[in-house]
Amino acid sequence: MSLASFVHWLEQRDWAMDFAGSAYFYPIVLATHLTCIAIFGGMILITNLRLLGWVLRSESVSDVVGRLRPWKWGGLVLMVTCGALLAGSEAGKYYGNPYFWTKMTLLALLIVHSLVFRRSVYRNTAELDRAEVMPGRAKLAAALSLILWIGVVTAGRMIGYYEGPVPLADSVTPAGASPR
Amino acid sequence: MRVPSLWQTRSRPPARLRVKAALRAPYVTGMLIQNPLNSSELAFPVLECLHIVGFTISLGTIAIVDFRLLGLGMRHQKAADLNRDLWLWTLAGLVIVVFTGLLLYSSDPDMYYLNIAFLFKIVCLLAAIIFHYTIRRKVVSSEASNGYGKMVACLSMALWASVIFGGIFIGFVNPGL
Repeated sequence: MSLASFVHWLEQRDWAMDFAGSAYFYPIVLATHLTCIAIFGGMILITNLRLLGWVLRSESVSDVVGRLRPWKWGGLVLMVTCGALLAGSEAGKYYGNPYFWTKMTLLALLIVHSLVFRRSVYRNTAELDRAEVMPGRAKLAAALSLILWIGVVTAGRMIGYYEGPVPLADSVTPAGASPR
Repeated sequence: MRVPSLWQTRSRPPARLRVKAALRAPYVTGMLIQNPLNSSELAFPVLECLHIVGFTISLGTIAIVDFRLLGLGMRHQKAADLNRDLWLWTLAGLVIVVFTGLLLYSSDPDMYYLNIAFLFKIVCLLAAIIFHYTIRRKVVSSEASNGYGKMVACLSMALWASVIFGGIFIGFVNPGL
């Protein structure tokens, strides 16, 4: 089954049509999504700023990374669930939205990021605490994570602004208009 | 844009707001044209993203301390110690949020002024800020890890979450004009 036909199938589901038809479903799930971003995304932000040595410097990296980890995971699950509901309820719209795919690409890069730095940074905090200066790879991991997450938030916000492909006759830059 | 049907039935804003809007309209209309924010398509979304990053900074730092008050998260530290390291970031985030928020508001004051979700948001925001810098501050510095502290932490989270919910609903309720 191709992705397009899957999206079409998803659109036809009863729950998706119910969600799309409900006035309250979308904003409530969106607000929950945003609240999770604020609370648990904020924790991700603070963890990365700690690795950069900008915040919570009197606390050990192990405490900051280790203690917040289960909450960040829990928050991520909630965040992704809400996001999947939002996208799933309007699959057709999201499928044609380049910002949605930008966001998905950035999220995929974040998975790669976590796999790359997992052993040397995020599961290696005891060694980071012993080091006199924060190793470059930890700072690199933190900076990349911050850039990617801010990219995810930006792309996510821009999803709502996309209004579909510009008709060729109206488009200012013909190269930018992609036929669906 | 989706408009919830419940609110849609109230086609006109309350008389109190109608009068004020009438008085304000010419001035606001002039401002809409002059406001440089409205001459760029990108200005609003960029400000919105800064707004989101700002409240992520402040709410993330607030949540870490609130979680500690609830006995969760960074339990090795005292709430007061965490707050000493984080309060400046909370404040910085709030400054970014309020500053970008005012700019966003200026793009279409009438729409916001008459928007019930916006009014709800502002009431919650003021309550949250006052609560944050009075009752919660005392509890955090007093180190009282008890039921009262937990209640304060829950109330703090609830108030801030309400601000976000109000903010999201601005785009989903009938603007009233």
